[in-house]
Amino acid sequence: MKPIRKENEFDVIIVGGGITGVGTARDCALRGLKVLLLERFDFATGATGRNHGLLHSGARYAVTDAESASECIKENMILRRVAHHCVEEHDGLFISLPEDDINYQKTFVEACLEAGIRADVIDPREARRLEPSVNPTLIGAVRVPDGSIDPFRLSTANVIDAREHGAVVRTYSEVVGLIRDGQRVVGVTVFNHRTHQTENFYAPLTINAGGIWGHGIAAKVGVRVDMFPAKGSLLIFGHRVNNMVLNRCRKPANADILVPGDTVCVIGTTSSRVPFEECDNLSVTADEVDLLLGEGMKLAPALGTTRILRAYAGVRPLVAVDNDPSGRNISRGIVLMDHAARDGVEGFATIAGGKLMTYRLMAEWATDLACRKLGVDKKCVTMTEPLPGSREEEVKSTARHHDMKPHVEATEFYRHGERASMIDARNDLDTSLVCECEGVTVGEINYAVKELHVHSLIDLRKRTRLGMGTCQAEMCACRAAGIMGEALGCEHNAQEDLRSFLNERWKGVRPVAWGDTLRETEYSQWVYNAVCGME
Amino acid sequence: MNTTNDNNFEQCLKCSVCTVYCPVLEVNPLYPGPKQAGPDGERLRLKGGAFYDEALKYCLNCKRCEVACPSGVKIGDIIQLAKIKYSKKKPGLRENMLANTDFMGSLATKMAPVVNLSVGLKPVKLAMDALFKIDAHRTFPSYASQTFESWFKKNAADKQDAFPHHITFFHGCYINYNYPQLGRDMVKVLNALGYGVHLMKNEKCCGVALMSNGLVEKAKRQAEGNIENIRHSVKDEHREVIGASSTCVFTMRDEYPHVLGVDNADVRDSISIATRFIYRLLDEGKAQLKFREDYKAKIAYHTPCHMEKLGWGIYSTLLLKMIPGVELTILESRCCGIGGTYGFKKENYATSQAIGAPLFRQIDNSGADFVATDCETCKWQIEMSTSLKVKHPISILAEALDEEETKRLNLR
Amino acid sequence: MKFDTIIIGGGLSGLSCALRLQAAGRQCAVISAGQSSLHFSSGSFDLLGLRADKSEVEHPLDEVKHLGEMHPYHKLGDSLSHYAALAESLLPQWGIRVKGTSSQNHYRYTPMGTLRPTWLTFSEMATAESKTRKLGDKVLVANFPGFLDFNTSFVIEALRKQGSQCEVTLLDMESVNRLRVSSTEMRASNIAKVFESPEALRELIERLNHVAAGYDCVVLPAVFGFSDADLAAQIEKEVHTKVAFMPTMPPSVAGIRTQKQLRTQFERMGGTFILGDEVVKADIENGKVKKIYTQNHGDMGFTAENYVLATGHFMSGGLVAGTQSVCEPIFGSDVYYLGNRDEWFDKDFFRSQNYSTFGVQTDSHFKVLFGGQPSANLYAAGSVLCGADAMHELCAAGVSLLTALSVADEILK
Repeated sequence: MKPIRKENEFDVIIVGGGITGVGTARDCALRGLKVLLLERFDFATGATGRNHGLLHSGARYAVTDAESASECIKENMILRRVAHHCVEEHDGLFISLPEDDINYQKTFVEACLEAGIRADVIDPREARRLEPSVNPTLIGAVRVPDGSIDPFRLSTANVIDAREHGAVVRTYSEVVGLIRDGQRVVGVTVFNHRTHQTENFYAPLTINAGGIWGHGIAAKVGVRVDMFPAKGSLLIFGHRVNNMVLNRCRKPANADILVPGDTVCVIGTTSSRVPFEECDNLSVTADEVDLLLGEGMKLAPALGTTRILRAYAGVRPLVAVDNDPSGRNISRGIVLMDHAARDGVEGFATIAGGKLMTYRLMAEWATDLACRKLGVDKKCVTMTEPLPGSREEEVKSTARHHDMKPHVEATEFYRHGERASMIDARNDLDTSLVCECEGVTVGEINYAVKELHVHSLIDLRKRTRLGMGTCQAEMCACRAAGIMGEALGCEHNAQEDLRSFLNERWKGVRPVAWGDTLRETEYSQWVYNAVCGME
Repeated sequence: MNTTNDNNFEQCLKCSVCTVYCPVLEVNPLYPGPKQAGPDGERLRLKGGAFYDEALKYCLNCKRCEVACPSGVKIGDIIQLAKIKYSKKKPGLRENMLANTDFMGSLATKMAPVVNLSVGLKPVKLAMDALFKIDAHRTFPSYASQTFESWFKKNAADKQDAFPHHITFFHGCYINYNYPQLGRDMVKVLNALGYGVHLMKNEKCCGVALMSNGLVEKAKRQAEGNIENIRHSVKDEHREVIGASSTCVFTMRDEYPHVLGVDNADVRDSISIATRFIYRLLDEGKAQLKFREDYKAKIAYHTPCHMEKLGWGIYSTLLLKMIPGVELTILESRCCGIGGTYGFKKENYATSQAIGAPLFRQIDNSGADFVATDCETCKWQIEMSTSLKVKHPISILAEALDEEETKRLNLR
Repeated sequence: MKFDTIIIGGGLSGLSCALRLQAAGRQCAVISAGQSSLHFSSGSFDLLGLRADKSEVEHPLDEVKHLGEMHPYHKLGDSLSHYAALAESLLPQWGIRVKGTSSQNHYRYTPMGTLRPTWLTFSEMATAESKTRKLGDKVLVANFPGFLDFNTSFVIEALRKQGSQCEVTLLDMESVNRLRVSSTEMRASNIAKVFESPEALRELIERLNHVAAGYDCVVLPAVFGFSDADLAAQIEKEVHTKVAFMPTMPPSVAGIRTQKQLRTQFERMGGTFILGDEVVKADIENGKVKKIYTQNHGDMGFTAENYVLATGHFMSGGLVAGTQSVCEPIFGSDVYYLGNRDEWFDKDFFRSQNYSTFGVQTDSHFKVLFGGQPSANLYAAGSVLCGADAMHELCAAGVSLLTALSVADEILK
């Protein structure tokens, strides 16, 4: 390893603040590398924050992709240990409905067991007792160790640990060019979206973890990484209808997973190919909403009478198989490309494919490569080392206010694990709720702004759940804008931030704005347009 | 919008109107308020019991939040159900004493003079305060030496079959053990209207005090028994069921299905409060009332919370307005603070009196001769906290009634 | 039960109509499913504030002719100025003190400290005759610690833009602070209840006289006068510095008080106000409403000569949206809406939305249409009517008041 000379020199530069990027940054930092993590906007903006939040058991892939299935179950068990504050261990049911082929159940169970996934066939009556919301006409059920995982919290925990092990973390920093020295990538040119400055950073290795946008990053040095943007749309319901994950026991299809997570549940997904240009601005169509709702009601009929909070879509970053000349075959697994070997470009690697569930393994592979290239001999420890937040079973702090409301305290612990001890709760000002639906306190906002790279209300939402509840930021947006204004000072254009936050919320609400959701919208628009006079 | 289903809490727009009208919140900041305790909290509680706040016990179940809610959210029901489902506080001896109104009542009636004397004595009160945390400021309503039921059996039961029409009277614990006179007034008025009065085969306390003191299973058993008896009365004997107490009636109509899960859909419309039943007879021309010329009174009507929730205060006031000599003031509808047994608990005494204070001021400044109201616990609280006596509208009708003339009009 | 007229909806529109009819000797009942949207008032009544191009309207009466044919004002035609003047004279009679006139808009302050054109403003609220008129050279913005629904940073930003020098002070008062024991209840209405106590009010006035000395104006959140508008007047009188009350995020204390005043006035005149009940069914024969039934009163229906539908827009439940259609849930009246849900909304949250103009269709006398034919005895008033974009034209209260008074006259004819 070369001695570090300057502030803008690192051992490794990681491009992309999705779960793969932050996971890789953490692993590299844990192994003693000096890391720079660069993210174009905010963490978890792409596919990381736009999926079910399902802690796959692997059962879904068992029949079609045994390798993915066994990766999933291994990582599943690891994440339960090292990231338990991001995980809900409630198990899942694969149900057969009268229209499904019950014989598939046998194939399914065998494949699960083959992959090392516990799969218990249970009586439909028992299934209804375990999960009262399930479609009562079911004819079969298999219980598997599915769960849910919060990708925002998982990303944040990785960022915190990377930083605490010396990584430098920059959000709103877009890589606009790769600096070359002959056939070698030696650094990156970065445009900072907040300061509008351009800066260069240098490292012997740059790892491209840009997800679907990795295609464009690689292209900057003429390297071809073929990707297939596949859009998936999902709906968020107003509360937890189910407490166990519900799946259909059949070949994976549209809208057949209903995942309870935190205060809500999510149905998804659809699947359609989209052009690269659309990846930055996806919208959910009325047809997709209808399909999701229709299929969702087959899993849990109560969805038909449940308020839908919003619709959203993400892009699966699927990678073409390298040895397929047609470029049409897609790899479902992890793809690590050493561009020195593959394309003759030194100092550059791409980690792609995979899924949220296997992010840690992806990070391990990428970090192993980095260590090999940089001549570092350190073993990976992320399969045993708990993430910050998952290290203790309780909050240990004497600085917290003794009169804290139990639900407020429980909520902070739920979201931040033992790190909730860093949230100010000295007096009743700190413990006042800003977002009443999701229980976000003044103290939590101040903590997030100070410690968790928050520069806008949208960032704040992802660190805390502010504005993610029933009313989708009706009153809390304005309240939080005021607190952020005080915490960030004049760098924060509070009114503009408030505008973009409300528009970001509106984007997801619009496709589902009927019934109570429209009533809520009208009330919000009355408050901000008519009463507050915002334009 | 008024669909009562599991998702009812989702109709909440987070507008916070309920918090404006919560009488507890106004005086006790330890209470999280109906929005947080109700729909907001419910979403969190679906994650698990750790998100339950024992401070929900401060809710006195007045349902004024539900009356105010522009979105039809059953806020009060959500809170009651959460208490039942999540509270870890087990009912103690005090809760059992306060809750088992009929058991305590039947014991106390047998020993009425002793009980009345002793619970009124200062040392006894202080002992109850210290031992059971029943506030020493409270005076228990005195017990009658003869229950209404035994009076009825001895003096009235055998005359009832002679009337042309019939109803079933749910008298409730208060009339039975503490104030049989109101029961006698009820029989007098209904008989004059041509209605024979019948008691239920096996009336049990409506269970409201059991519910509010955490004894839900017992409440549910009593509810099931009562509904069975009511069903017999309505379906087999073709008699509507009426009560005098707004809380008993409200509990049997709405709390049974919403809170206890006891289905009453087939008979709910046949459970009514006496004033509504009588008003309807008059309105539809099925009976007539004649009042004494010499009856004169200035009356202030207080709408009990559960009467407000039922929306039936109008029937009592319309009836009172029919009495020629009555000058009626309708007090601004506010909670009196007693909340059934809520105000008897030591920890709630201050809250209870503070909630009632604005009502007490209205009453003391009303210039009325006495207060009229349809709820027995409101009566205790108002008599304890103001200078005026309280009468039930049925007792006022009984007093003002020209019995002979009314009978003549209805029993031709 | 029998009445001359039954008004469904107990907000500004329903109660104004009821008050007018009751005053003319008609026995009225108002049935209200919960408290009304007055609780979310801006602190003012708008008549017409903005044109379609977002430019501000100075003389609203001259401007209504440019509104579309479907707009409720269009139906009022020449009588619009008459009803505007009538509303101005009736409000004080009902105990509601306002300032302003329909001949010329003035400016109200928003909770963000900015100015918006309006018609009538509750007496205690700060107003401005022009956008250039500032509150003072040196302005002190006072707030209570932890009261997040009055965003002082936005207010100062706006006042500084007007050229005022601004500072913020926090009024740390034990009587208000105790609200924070609950993690959510530091709300405008709860603070207002604290100041119902003369002691708390006295302490506030003393505090203000101490901290505001040397300033030209002290800005306060409008959280005074839960039941009595005089409270604000008392503060203005006893504080030596000029006081400007600015509206907060909802709930609106002045709006709650106004709702209460309207109801009290109506009941004092002998009207029957039924709160927390919902009309669930109606008997209609050949376009004539015969009887209505409510949740609480079950099979004991209500009958009247005439019925008024004043149930509000979507927010209040007057209109209900399905996935592709919109209905008026009580009577199933004819409703104007667009068939394709994609057309209901604009992508920008802050721009005019098509769904705002959806509503019940009536003839020129505000008689509700059934299958294109006017009902014999069912009228509609206020936000439930189609054609107005209340949020972007700034005309909500005007439509409510003026159509309600006009419907009352139609019934009295």
